[in-house]
Amino acid sequence: MNLIFTFLSHEIKALIRGSGAGKSIAMQIFVGIIIIYCLASAFLLGIMLDRLLTKGFPQGNAVAIFCSFLLYYFLGDLVFRFFMQELPTLSVKPYLCKNIRKRSLVSFLNIRSVFHYINLLPLILLLPFCFSGLKNYNIAGSIALVLSIIGLTLFNNFLLLYLKRKSILQLKWFIGFFAGLLILAALDYFNVLPLSYLSEQLFIAVIRQPLLSLAFIGVAVWAWWLNTSYLRHNLYIEEKISIGVKTSASYSWLSRWGTTGEMVALDFKLIFRNKRPRSVVLMSSLLLLYGFIFYRPEYMNLRNGLGYLVFAAIFVTGSFIINYGNFLFAWQSSHFDGLMANNISIRQYIKSKLLLFSLAGTVSFLLTSFYAFIDWRLLPLQLAAFLFNVGCTSIFSVYLATFSNKGIDLGKSATFNYQGTGVAQWVYALLVLLVPVAIYAPLAILFNYWVGMAALGGIGLISWLMQPWWIEILYKEFKKRKYVILDGFREK
Amino acid sequence: MIKVHHLQKTYKGVTVLNIPQLEIQTGELIGLVGNNGAGKTTLLRLMLDLISATSGEVYIKSENVAKNEDWKSYTAAYLDDGFLIGYLTPEEYFYFTGSLHNRSKADVDDYLQEFTDFFDGSILQSGKYIRDLSKGNQFKVGIAACLMQNPELLLLDEPFSNLDPTSQSRLVQLLKQLQQQKRMTIIVSSHDLNHIADLSTRVLLLEKGNLIKDIHRSEQTLDELENYFSV
Repeated sequence: MNLIFTFLSHEIKALIRGSGAGKSIAMQIFVGIIIIYCLASAFLLGIMLDRLLTKGFPQGNAVAIFCSFLLYYFLGDLVFRFFMQELPTLSVKPYLCKNIRKRSLVSFLNIRSVFHYINLLPLILLLPFCFSGLKNYNIAGSIALVLSIIGLTLFNNFLLLYLKRKSILQLKWFIGFFAGLLILAALDYFNVLPLSYLSEQLFIAVIRQPLLSLAFIGVAVWAWWLNTSYLRHNLYIEEKISIGVKTSASYSWLSRWGTTGEMVALDFKLIFRNKRPRSVVLMSSLLLLYGFIFYRPEYMNLRNGLGYLVFAAIFVTGSFIINYGNFLFAWQSSHFDGLMANNISIRQYIKSKLLLFSLAGTVSFLLTSFYAFIDWRLLPLQLAAFLFNVGCTSIFSVYLATFSNKGIDLGKSATFNYQGTGVAQWVYALLVLLVPVAIYAPLAILFNYWVGMAALGGIGLISWLMQPWWIEILYKEFKKRKYVILDGFREK
Repeated sequence: MIKVHHLQKTYKGVTVLNIPQLEIQTGELIGLVGNNGAGKTTLLRLMLDLISATSGEVYIKSENVAKNEDWKSYTAAYLDDGFLIGYLTPEEYFYFTGSLHNRSKADVDDYLQEFTDFFDGSILQSGKYIRDLSKGNQFKVGIAACLMQNPELLLLDEPFSNLDPTSQSRLVQLLKQLQQQKRMTIIVSSHDLNHIADLSTRVLLLEKGNLIKDIHRSEQTLDELENYFSV
């Protein structure tokens, strides 16, 4: 037990003294505030859940509804964890050949995994209701429900880690996991196995028969045991990881653009083969769906109502440019030395980034053109936004990239990862969204939205046609700060 | 080929490199030696315009490297893994480098044939990304990509330190050949005095940023170097 505390203290030191962490206290505070904010919102929601349920379903029974949601919640939780929770494995390496029993290492790994903010979420969201909502039942029922929720949280925690450990080695576990979830969802959807009914029956039974909650503690212990036995035999996991054969790929259609095209192909490979850019691009493609939230009929029918939507259109058609462009050069920080010493002129390099944006912007525009089914006027609006993104936002991205000298570790995941984020990134995000609105809104109010759209699209198109001129300017800006960028990227 | 003029690099008030004058002729094979922190890598980086000089300039073919990018078309360099692109397979990296010099894939494939021995079967078709190769194999990829460009000027930073003994001798032979047959100008930094004395035509010795010895190779070179470095 003593040893476990030593390990925990090492973990805390690693967190405080880590190379990424110590650099910017401000950034840590910022991330801390975001996490606290999320937890606080969850807590507030948890406290009000009782009232919300009574209000939202006046004819139903709040407890029954709460119970019917629980299984859905924990299934969603499992998926959420799959993306957010990382395996606490690497930290064990330095201890492997010390005089430490394997058993304590394994239990440390398990205990360590419990200290994750994801595990707090269900507790603060769901536990308040167990007391506030269950006033009509006796206290044993409340406690039983609390125990069940804690049990399920821990079960999810350990089950997911087990699945993740397995799926690192074999893809079939990963496929199996998602196939299982899909089957459950389908069964629920077609009413073969209605989860809500099942969930309601299950947890109502727990409240009536408090001893049943021990079953949930039981499954948590089982999942713990799964991990323990697995880790005991597989602590030296690296030997077993079967790295799939990596094959070469070529994007020959890009070669028509010569060296510039080759550089774009390089960017594609960077995106598809590294964790962080991949998740950023995944996020961007999810943002393409943002329109379903913003493009509401009620906004369209307001006088000049499309004004609200410029913001959304820029976001929808430019999500990739905005997200990827935020770090533009920094993605390549690990081999920037090589790029600069190789036979690539800086002008070509800049041109390749603009070409990448033009291609990606066009793809996003085509993909999102289906929003025209909601209202045909969205099509010209998105066209204007697309032209502006490709013509102006892209130039602006490259310009601001010349100010950013913080490198990025491609292998880390993107969530709550603020490595490489500096003032430039925040300025960028703000301006990219505000400037188009500032161009569009006054004209739309003064005349009508067609004038606003025409101005926005026109400015974008002209700027796009002026690319050769922009490249000269960007080249000069780049030259001014080349060494600062290189020095910054070399620092690890 | 290269002219260094009043070159100085200062980091936070400490001068790490100070070379008033240095000229390197076409076809010379320069061995660059010096203890850690002597300024070898700094000098190479300055020649590639990767860091800014505090004062002074580097000229390649009479063009200031910081002002003009022409040198990129005939200069090849491998200093460290920052020159490799980790998420590419070795083949992709070779094709990519080849494409920057207008070489077709077939050209590159032909060229790589010559490296079969050097690669020792563990690089091509290995089914790995460069980031998953061992340090030594990464170095081989970097060096081979340099030579493939058929450059006029070649810069290598400590190429021997990560290579196995066989590959070291192969590289020594290769560099000698390139210098003699193609009159390639080559600068190699290394801690291995035997190799340096064996292959160089001229040896530059740096100490704390100063060029303290500039010798044309002779029979005594190895003794001279060993004398300097012995404690």
